[in-house]
Amino acid sequence: MLADLYDFKAGLNRQNVIFCFFGPISQVLIAEIGDILKKKMMLGEASKSVGSRVFSILVEQVQNIIRYSDEKYPVDNSVYEVDQLSVGIIAVGLEGAYCTVISGNRVENGKTGELRNKLEKLLGMNKDELKAYYKEQRRIGPGEGSKGAGLGLIEMARKSAEPLMFNIRRVDEKYSFFTIKALV
Amino acid sequence: MDSLNIEATKYSPAVRFEPEKRVLQISGESYPENTMEFYAPVFDYLKEYLALPEAPPLTVNVDLIYFNSSSSKILINLFDLLDGAAKEGRDVAINWFYESDDEDNLEFGEEFAEDLEYVQFHLVEKEM
Repeated sequence: MLADLYDFKAGLNRQNVIFCFFGPISQVLIAEIGDILKKKMMLGEASKSVGSRVFSILVEQVQNIIRYSDEKYPVDNSVYEVDQLSVGIIAVGLEGAYCTVISGNRVENGKTGELRNKLEKLLGMNKDELKAYYKEQRRIGPGEGSKGAGLGLIEMARKSAEPLMFNIRRVDEKYSFFTIKALV
Repeated sequence: MDSLNIEATKYSPAVRFEPEKRVLQISGESYPENTMEFYAPVFDYLKEYLALPEAPPLTVNVDLIYFNSSSSKILINLFDLLDGAAKEGRDVAINWFYESDDEDNLEFGEEFAEDLEYVQFHLVEKEM
């Protein structure tokens, strides 16, 4: 670990990552990450709308990790008001003219089919279709097993300058690793 | 009716209602962990207010810097409630505040306006 950490940092630098977090994620952390990001973005020449879109995608990705990650970390209930936190990775970086927001978390193999279908449906839509779908989904109740409004992925697709990119990689008999990336 | 006063946090807005002024003010950031739980008292309060026999008018000011997709769903539910009251003849107005350089927030306001039929919906540009 001691020697590897430099390689890890160098890898992040090579990919122009300006911010990266791995570990158990709490709601409070989103606000902290948001603050760090706002300061970092202000240092660059990003416009206000780019900054707010990056923050918006970041919040949706982090809240998706909190709600859907199948990797949990036990915590002290008296501190966090919950018994466990969800584990995931989130990173913000630069790629050419774009700002990238990427996140990853573990998903049970049995849930990957539905996730893939949802995303492929969004990838096939243009901006107007995404808007209509967003409005339609906003009015109907959340789906089974959904703890949020189920709108997060559509919101990300709408805020992203290019179609969302995702990858679902089977890790073992039980789990896959899901990665999603948006460009602003 | 009592007043409603919810203090803002880093990820949830301040919500204030003073019955004498008849203005409900929602301002700040909105991305609470459990959106429905956060907004439940606001819905309860509004339903009670809208059921008052003397049918006082109501203005709702929404001045959110940022809100997440779950909050967007709650907002449309809230606006639907107000739209329903307006349909029955109640004097209800929504003011949607946005900063002049925040196109996305203006667009959000326009999209809400498109989905509502009876309530007065005003897009209000904030002085910078």
